[in-house]
Amino acid sequence: MRIVAVDPTSCVACRNCEYACAFKQTGDFDTKASNIRVNFYPEERVCIPWTCVHCGEGWCMEICPAGAILRNPETGAVEIDAKRCAGCKMCLLACPTGSIHFDKVELVSKKCDLCGGDPSCVKFCTSGALQFVEEDEAYSFRRESLDAKLIRLFGLTKRGS
Amino acid sequence: MPERQTVQTLCRMCDDRCAINVYLEDGKIVDIDGYKDHPWNRGRLCVKARAAVDMVYHPERLLKPLKKTKKGFEEIPLEQALDEIAERLSTVKEKYGARSVSIWKGEAIGFAQEEEMARRFVHALGSPNYFSNDSMCYNGRYFGYRLVEGSWPVPDYESSRCVVLWGANPPHAHPNMTQMIMRARKAGAKLVVVDPRMSAIARQADLHAALKPGTDGALALGLIQQLIETQMFDREFVENYTVGFDELAGYAKAFSPEAVEGETGVPAALVREIARTMAGAAPRVTVYVGNGPEHHENGINNIRAVACLDAILGALDREGGNRLVDGFQGAHLTLYDEIPLEHLGPIGADRFPVLYGFRQECHTMTGMDTILSGKPYPLRAMILTAANPAMTNPNTLKVRKALESLDLFVVRDLFMTETTELADYVLPAASFLERVELHTHAKYQTVTMTRKILEYPDVQDEYQFWHDLSHRLGFGKYFPWKDETELTSWILESADLSLEQAAAHPEGIEYAPIRYERWKSETLGTPSGKVEFRSQYLEDLGYPALPEYKPPAYLDAPDPDYPYVLITGARKLLYYHSRFRNIKRFRTAIPGPEAELHPRDAAALGVADGEEIRITSRIGSLEVPVKIMSKSEILPGTLQLTHGWKEANANLLTHDDRFDPISGFPLMKAVEVRLEKVEKV
Repeated sequence: MRIVAVDPTSCVACRNCEYACAFKQTGDFDTKASNIRVNFYPEERVCIPWTCVHCGEGWCMEICPAGAILRNPETGAVEIDAKRCAGCKMCLLACPTGSIHFDKVELVSKKCDLCGGDPSCVKFCTSGALQFVEEDEAYSFRRESLDAKLIRLFGLTKRGS
Repeated sequence: MPERQTVQTLCRMCDDRCAINVYLEDGKIVDIDGYKDHPWNRGRLCVKARAAVDMVYHPERLLKPLKKTKKGFEEIPLEQALDEIAERLSTVKEKYGARSVSIWKGEAIGFAQEEEMARRFVHALGSPNYFSNDSMCYNGRYFGYRLVEGSWPVPDYESSRCVVLWGANPPHAHPNMTQMIMRARKAGAKLVVVDPRMSAIARQADLHAALKPGTDGALALGLIQQLIETQMFDREFVENYTVGFDELAGYAKAFSPEAVEGETGVPAALVREIARTMAGAAPRVTVYVGNGPEHHENGINNIRAVACLDAILGALDREGGNRLVDGFQGAHLTLYDEIPLEHLGPIGADRFPVLYGFRQECHTMTGMDTILSGKPYPLRAMILTAANPAMTNPNTLKVRKALESLDLFVVRDLFMTETTELADYVLPAASFLERVELHTHAKYQTVTMTRKILEYPDVQDEYQFWHDLSHRLGFGKYFPWKDETELTSWILESADLSLEQAAAHPEGIEYAPIRYERWKSETLGTPSGKVEFRSQYLEDLGYPALPEYKPPAYLDAPDPDYPYVLITGARKLLYYHSRFRNIKRFRTAIPGPEAELHPRDAAALGVADGEEIRITSRIGSLEVPVKIMSKSEILPGTLQLTHGWKEANANLLTHDDRFDPISGFPLMKAVEVRLEKVEKV
């Protein structure tokens, strides 16, 4: 499956992803409705975007007493069925990355569903810090970064082809 | 399910012009997302783009011409509006001469063929008085670089090993540049940000030089001094392709890292480190100057000093450096050769000869004075399209007074604005989704055609308006094309392309292959044909030949009555100058103006986050809530207020009589102000 890979070394906390997600959920830009969140630490100059990674064995799925959290067979996304959610908030507690929030109006838990396979947060990420990529190679850009440095350091580029 | 259609075009919610898919159902636009095959944005977009759907169908959109009467604005038929405007223009022209008529072209129609149409119209009418938003944006950087390098180069970010952003904040101002910079970083490039604020891009900077506003020249000369002193410059380039190196080196000697620290506040060690970082990456160094350095009284010479770095590092027109680019060879619409009108005294050309000389532009601030004083001659009519100077030009109260006093003031816009309120006629304008036009992306040397996707019956595109008016005024021969599509076709044919080809390539057509190092075989666009560290052209006009540094007034002669320094005009992601305040969800995210304040200053004023302060300059005063920033986000003693808010219009405070002497740009980013807490009873 494909996941939203995040790169804190490219994120500038512009909040396009939060706005795009909130818009998808509610038609508005209240970022409390967003299923992706960006934490910005000004003193440290650090920006960390984060959303659900759709765990193989999601603790949210295991803990949910209503059986409302299921995996979408097409996208692999772990999704909450709002009709079955009892609003107990156990999934918020269970999620080790804090990727589920509670909607105080609808009284149900909310999380990323990968927009059915075309995540809006990635489409509206202008820095490239978010990529929608196959999970097995989600962080291959780290190797590519390393490659670029090695190529330059050792002058590996060969002339003529 | 209604049938869904997709049309590719370019977004023009800002000037990044990202490629978009526009989705239609039953002829109505229902969604917009990024078009992946255009190399410019590769499918990524900022959230402004999707809001174009809201903009074009906005309930407040102007769809009928309005005429101001004693009872207020009244709708009138389009033909009647055009007839009356033509008649009243003729009256002004007969009474005061053609030069009493002027055009003001705004940012919202951009800088391509629609700008040229406006220039064409006013010249065909016989007036040299073309004003534009460029009196305050872009021209300053263009002049700085053109004086040194003959044109403004384009950063080749992706191949760069060191990206320097100087007073530029792409995530908010040019969102699409962000991904290019981050791709460079992923490949190991260092990011250097020069900005008094920790802007969004500075959040990822390897080195952030938080200099005092307006001291850019001192830092740039300090870097030049370091590169020369430590022998880290491109000697071969400097010897063969530049003029004035010895003089510049001599002048820069005084700018030691310690002296620079004293002037700019940037630690000497950081000045050395930035110089080392740039030299280590040379020639793959890109330097992009944003709007920040332009709005200062020594702006152009500061930018010239920055521009000198390209040649000193040998980074000019090299892969990974600042590239010179080839322009699109399509026909131009201006009439400067056919109908030269400089002898009629374009407004501001005497005081700012470079502005008119390089850009054939008049000076908007001098324009306001001319309207009010009638000197040196009456300026009595104006057609303004796609601008809102009653909000965005400095000294709002004077701008309002001037525009209101015109014999004829016609404004074209999508919505009622602070400026349309002052007009005699308000004409509904077409949005970017209602116009056909050619746009170039210089970085890729491609041309892309935008598409007309919808239309409203009484809403004319720019071409149709100028066409209909010119035919009524008797110079229709200059607007012979039936419509904008025919005009666009004519421009394409002049470059050996066709409408069909342009339509078939929404990813753009490369009009000239990318090339490098043209200084080896070609002369540059400077008078000497080389990089000019010293400018004879400027000296002949009475300006310093070298990019001399002058400290900003607030440092040179501090005014104890106005002890704080106000930066205005740092952009927010969701708003573009004064636009988009009427998009409801943007207001949810950023509800209103805020003065961004250092916590130390907030404490001294006894003001808490969200409480109001009164900001007073020698020009005016306003009240605005504060946002207390983190201590690393803004310099103490300095505050920032974004422009474009009617709730707290920054230009009630800005000066319209303190300019950079070369460009005529107003001082907008170091305004001396006094702050007080507003006590609520």
